[in-house]
Amino acid sequence: MIDSLSTTLSQLRNRYFWYGVSSLVLMFGAWETGSRSEQWFGFYTPSLGALPPPDLILSTLFHMIGTLEFWQNVWLSCVRVFVGFTAAVVLGVPFGLLLALNRFFHGIFFPPFEVFRPIPPIAWVPASIIFWPTQFLSIGFVTFLGAFFAIVISVIGGVRLIDVRYVQAARSMGSSRLDIFRRIIIPGVLPSIIVGAVIGIGITWQVVIAAELISGGGSAAGSSGGLGSFIWNAYVTGGPEAETHIIIGMFSIGVAGALSSELLRAAGKWVTPWLSST
Amino acid sequence: MADEAPASKTQGAPSGDRDIQEAPLAFAMFRIAEYLRSPRPYLMLIGFALVLGFWHLSVEVWRLPRFKEMPGLVQVWKEWTSTDPVYGISLYTATYYDDIAASCRRVATAFLLATSLGVPLGLMMGWSRSFNAFAFPVFELFRPIPVIAWIPLALIMLPGRETPVIFLITMAAFFATTLNTMLGVASIDQTYIRAAQCLGATHWKVFRHIIVPGAMPFIFTGLQIGMGVAWFSLVVGEMVAGSSGLGYRINDSYVLVSYPTMVINMLTLGFVGYVSSALVRVVGNLLIRWHGRELVL
Repeated sequence: MIDSLSTTLSQLRNRYFWYGVSSLVLMFGAWETGSRSEQWFGFYTPSLGALPPPDLILSTLFHMIGTLEFWQNVWLSCVRVFVGFTAAVVLGVPFGLLLALNRFFHGIFFPPFEVFRPIPPIAWVPASIIFWPTQFLSIGFVTFLGAFFAIVISVIGGVRLIDVRYVQAARSMGSSRLDIFRRIIIPGVLPSIIVGAVIGIGITWQVVIAAELISGGGSAAGSSGGLGSFIWNAYVTGGPEAETHIIIGMFSIGVAGALSSELLRAAGKWVTPWLSST
Repeated sequence: MADEAPASKTQGAPSGDRDIQEAPLAFAMFRIAEYLRSPRPYLMLIGFALVLGFWHLSVEVWRLPRFKEMPGLVQVWKEWTSTDPVYGISLYTATYYDDIAASCRRVATAFLLATSLGVPLGLMMGWSRSFNAFAFPVFELFRPIPVIAWIPLALIMLPGRETPVIFLITMAAFFATTLNTMLGVASIDQTYIRAAQCLGATHWKVFRHIIVPGAMPFIFTGLQIGMGVAWFSLVVGEMVAGSSGLGYRINDSYVLVSYPTMVINMLTLGFVGYVSSALVRVVGNLLIRWHGRELVL
């Protein structure tokens, strides 16, 4: 306890910490001045003037955190992300491992995979809507696609990174293929799976928000449609509160995305204890 | 790299750099013949046949439940190659190429903008601790926000319809490029820097001769990722706020229920995206010939 207090205090003496703080203060100050410039000085700053000032955003945010609707939106987006991401991991890791370990499988399935990979997931949205019966499934499919490609590529890269000498050593001592797989490949590829998963979940968030923006949300829960449609509705209905809502939505998504990435990274550390021991 | 090492211990095959330079055509022919002798091209054909076959069979022959709503392989192919397409877009129409040109133009502009902003910024942030302390908090504050979420704000803040889309793509590519450049600078072996400083190199010389080349591999990885992200954002931007281009056309053809056009544009999008990433990668490889690319991502 005393330790962490003194480290925090010494952090305060660290000048880089204050550089960071001052840059944030400057940024928010400029924002506040720019958006309120018309009010205070009677002159309108071109792009900043269209933004609502930070203190208004904060007050609206506090108000909004208390509403049920906001959390319904957050929940819906999170569920979509979770479903798509889990499907991507469950299908992507085995597929990637197969591609990396089996030459024939690689030769057959990697070229079509590479053909489909550059197509942005969003481009799949209309096709997905046609194909899947419910909207939830269609958005789920698109989010799955986004993370799937990232995870498979990471897995393939991860297998390639495993030092071939481990495999050679094991073989020279008579390991079966299953043993090599279980004891060398799987642990060796875990860090890359984690990296791929973190990238994948970032992509998943992007895709979920984009899909919600485009298809306008709809919902399983009545009036809410996820954070993306929340932003889009705010934009479309316009009105004085619109920009505030948009910015709140944006930062909420950012926070949710950052949280999920950090959670995943922590889970990754827990699964690969040998990496963190220094 | 495994496939660079001459498996050419076989007879009559050129080996070694001198031979490659003296008889490049022969070497190229050898590599092609080697490729054709291996199972790879045939497996690739099998793979495409499986995928395309599945598409064709599920939609047009067996007419499986959800699949029959989709446009089929034959239908799409006929549409794509016809001189008078039913829905208006094919290899022979001008709109097709207009769309491609519009999309490419946007991506190129935004990508150049993002690179010219992101690479210097990333180099500075990686190299100078003070600068990093200033810039990183603001950078990290905005990075987690999905670029897509910027659309409504961009539409409000920026004039017209083109500028928001380009802004969006620039944002997307910018974050990827800057981050990777920073990582690139961080990955440079400290020994090089110390050695140079021992020999009396100025700050600027260290920067020019060690930092910039040393970060190149990561910069180009970042550029490739940035290119992919750029196409991703382009599609969203065009779907929401565009009036031309491939993304717009996909959405448009969905709304107008002209599904073959939609598939044509999707595949074209994939192809163009692949070509642009490959271009970045080739340029990168040319500039980093001394470095064996270990990073697969």
